Amino acid sequence: MAKVCGIYEALWLARLHLSSAHALYLHLPFCVRKCAYCDFASWETPAGDPLMAAYADSLGRLTAQAADVGLLDGCKTAYVGGGTPSLAGEGLVRLVSDIRLRAPSLDELTCEANPDSLTDKLLGSLREVGCTRLSIGVQSLSDAELVELGRIHTAKRANELLRAAVETGIDVSCDLMCATPRQTDASWRRSVEGVCEVGVGHVSVYPLQIEEDTPLGRIVGDDEPAWNDPEVQARRMEQAHELLSAQGLVRYEVASYARPGKECLHNQAYWTAVPYLGLGTRACSMLTREAYERLRTVSPRLPQADEDASRIRLTCIDGVRAIAGAQGLADLRYDVEQLDERRAAAEDLMLAMRMVRGAGPGLVEHARAVIGATRVDEALSWCQQQGLAEPAGGSWVPTVQGWLLGNRLYGRMWELAE
Amino acid sequence: MSSCAIISRMKNDTSHIRNFSIVAHIDHGKSTISDRILELTHTVEERDLESQMLDSMDIERERGITIKSNAVRVAYDADDGRTYQFNLIDTPGHVDFTYEVSRSLAACEGAVLVVDATQGVEAQTVSNALLAMNADLDIVPAINKIDLPSAEPDRVREEIEEDLAIPADDAVCVSGKTGEGIHDLLEAIVYLVSPPAGEVDAPLKALILDSYFDEYRGVVATVRVFDGSIKKGDRLVMMAEGDTFLCDGVGCKRPLETPLPELGVGEVGYVVTGLKDPALVHVGDTLTKPEHPCAEVLPGYHEAKPMVFAGVFPVDNKEYENLRDALEKLKVNDPSLTWAPETSVALGFGFRVGFLGLLHMEVVKERLEREFGLDLIATSPSVDYHVYTTAGEMLDIKSPQDLPRPEKIDRIEEPYLNAKVIVPPDYMGAVMQLAIEHRGITKDMVYLSEKSVEMHFDIPLAELILDFFDQLKSRTKGYASLDYEFADYQASDLVKLDILLAGEEVDALSFIVHKDKAYTLARGLCDKLKEIIPRQQFEVPIQGAIGNKIISRSTVRAVRKDVLAKCYGGDISRKRKLLEKQKEGKKRMKQIGTVDVPQEAFLAVLKVDDDA
Repeated sequence: MAKVCGIYEALWLARLHLSSAHALYLHLPFCVRKCAYCDFASWETPAGDPLMAAYADSLGRLTAQAADVGLLDGCKTAYVGGGTPSLAGEGLVRLVSDIRLRAPSLDELTCEANPDSLTDKLLGSLREVGCTRLSIGVQSLSDAELVELGRIHTAKRANELLRAAVETGIDVSCDLMCATPRQTDASWRRSVEGVCEVGVGHVSVYPLQIEEDTPLGRIVGDDEPAWNDPEVQARRMEQAHELLSAQGLVRYEVASYARPGKECLHNQAYWTAVPYLGLGTRACSMLTREAYERLRTVSPRLPQADEDASRIRLTCIDGVRAIAGAQGLADLRYDVEQLDERRAAAEDLMLAMRMVRGAGPGLVEHARAVIGATRVDEALSWCQQQGLAEPAGGSWVPTVQGWLLGNRLYGRMWELAE
Repeated sequence: MSSCAIISRMKNDTSHIRNFSIVAHIDHGKSTISDRILELTHTVEERDLESQMLDSMDIERERGITIKSNAVRVAYDADDGRTYQFNLIDTPGHVDFTYEVSRSLAACEGAVLVVDATQGVEAQTVSNALLAMNADLDIVPAINKIDLPSAEPDRVREEIEEDLAIPADDAVCVSGKTGEGIHDLLEAIVYLVSPPAGEVDAPLKALILDSYFDEYRGVVATVRVFDGSIKKGDRLVMMAEGDTFLCDGVGCKRPLETPLPELGVGEVGYVVTGLKDPALVHVGDTLTKPEHPCAEVLPGYHEAKPMVFAGVFPVDNKEYENLRDALEKLKVNDPSLTWAPETSVALGFGFRVGFLGLLHMEVVKERLEREFGLDLIATSPSVDYHVYTTAGEMLDIKSPQDLPRPEKIDRIEEPYLNAKVIVPPDYMGAVMQLAIEHRGITKDMVYLSEKSVEMHFDIPLAELILDFFDQLKSRTKGYASLDYEFADYQASDLVKLDILLAGEEVDALSFIVHKDKAYTLARGLCDKLKEIIPRQQFEVPIQGAIGNKIISRSTVRAVRKDVLAKCYGGDISRKRKLLEKQKEGKKRMKQIGTVDVPQEAFLAVLKVDDDA
């Protein structure tokens, strides 16, 4: 067993020292209208605003520069998120071709899109230039619910679009949101079954989270509306699990279901310590110390890594106009957070517990080595006592209770950072 | 205006001295007027003037209440060309601190009665005016806030005359905010307040008003000299307790300490005792010289006795020693504080602390947390019960958990108070109803004027410390004022109410209550705890029990789902911050068995709605 663990650990360790990003995230923070619940970085922008094209073209140039210094060597996945990337139209098409050019060995390239701005023409162009996957913000197939959420598309339009997209052969994922105003168990069932019927290969389900600084948060105030009650959230998530499983979509992460082989590679990178580079307003990067040094060669304003830093997290803090006008990576400004080996390992355990396959033997052994075996074992057995996680082979995996009470499970793992 | 000018008078001449307090209903502007006086007499420069100069504790300033009294000397150049020595003695304004008010007033010849020009005479205006009149003080009425558009000085003047029977023709109209009229007020003090009487050659007679501890000089006492004088090197004795010391210096506060060669007859100032044990100096005691003692002690000396007892425990048991140190340090300028170690199964090691009242308890807890960086749990307040056992013993029981088993108890006696409520006649019915609900017995009532009645009750202290005061205020729209003193012990039919969380008895939640109220309280407490205790991973039953009998129950349902933030675009830092916030919240809770209990749960009994 010790020997086997040694091999796993070696594999895990290799990931912690990659000298380039194996995933690329580009953020397009534009929307026609901001949804009532949304607190992501996005701004209302009219369709056709030249700022969007300028911004997308700048991201293309920044990507090229990152590739030039080797930061994208071996990059496997790319993801263009938002906002509403499809709103940028031709700008998005140009950006996708730029990515393809600079990261030639991609296994997956996803674009987010909304039913209102993804036209048949745009769909065709994206597929042509090398987009392999679309993540479509459907949220619901009930018009009443869509209105409450402040979405501007109709259920009918979403349905047509999903159908058209699936027909082109591209991989299609859609997001659905539960515990929303006016949703019932029956309407939730119709939404979940509806998207499966169209033939999408991937579905993400989330309970609506009421954030303070949003129009919805201001309406709700201190109330705890019945439609968002934890009981309702739990029931809908369980309902989704049953319905999706029955349709052949298998859970692989707390909120993600896919037909076999259609799991999102890019999102998995976030949960499994694969370094990623994020470009654009509020975009986040996670780099190994080695990759960070590489970024510093073109961004000299970045601080030197601390002696004990093993992982660096960056958030780009430039606004939309600054990004659009950036001459190169040297112009960008970031919030920088450095994690030592121990914090990085605690973070990896926390993230691994979102996955069905949980924390594998390589990760567990590595964490025991850097955090201390007793502390890690104590934390894991606490989780077992609480019914949140259980051992399976050499791995630790979340239980059904662990899916629903994830914050307890993740929180206990992150405590190991102290 | 040097300090010499203030003191170098003819030996027995006190005609330049004015000792006075400022009294008022809460928020009528007492502290602002004090500030203006300090400013106008150049005692402090405007730029140094922190608002509410006299209230020096953080908590006092924040809550706008005065807890500790304070005496400041100012020099006033009056219009008659003379320089007067004003000793401004601040008084606390809350019922818990009535004792401090009365001893502050005992050091004065006059009182400035501040009345808000927009509000008029209110409950505490009446009770403070009565205290001042009982102490035989010359009263200077001042109508404040005349800068406000809604000020009605004429109406307020009439009220002062009619409701308080105080001549108000000379009432001074002032604005603490703009400073208008403050000069007139100072002149009025010169003419209306009598100079102190007293004999410089008589044996020393001085009253200890207050004391505080200085690491280098030991206990420093604030005193008022009635006869004789004190200077450095004098041998002094505290008459009630008999302890002597060598005076290590005298002076006054202006408002910083200023040493003086002597404290003369009629003056107020401080005396450095050099004593290292704060417990030796008792506020209210009389100071004299052992070789020429005065004939009798000054009246009114009684030790402030704690009436309310509560457990105080550190959330983190490792802080126990720090809590003990903190209590010892606090005692130095709050001599009324007492404590004894207490152990709780649920909360570990802590102390049973005695307080003057609920506000005092709140203030002490807050000071301990703020000034000493402690995280504390306070348990429900209790009183000192006398429990007579079947074996014929009498036990002093200050904590419900010490109560013997019911079969061993012959009877329990509880402290009763004589409570005095002053209220406008319209609210008499409401007050009587409230008294009945709190097991009070109305003894008599006296009309003080057409607009105020003084009602007397016998009422158990245990009832008074719960929500009586808040209820009294709300049912009389703030008009009632309350004063009380200990009467005696009386037998009552009392039982111990236990609370069980997830089947386990939590000693720190136990409560001694009258049998007739036990069911209502148990139900209210179970419901309140259900609100306070957050949902846990498992269902938590809450039960109220007397002995082995369960008399109420409620259930905290299990949490089914906690918030799942979408980790958008790989923003892991944000997710971690949410988890850290969640943990911070949990840290402030006490784990009892498998249940996380927030600190406020232990005071839930104070929040139980009476009508529930």
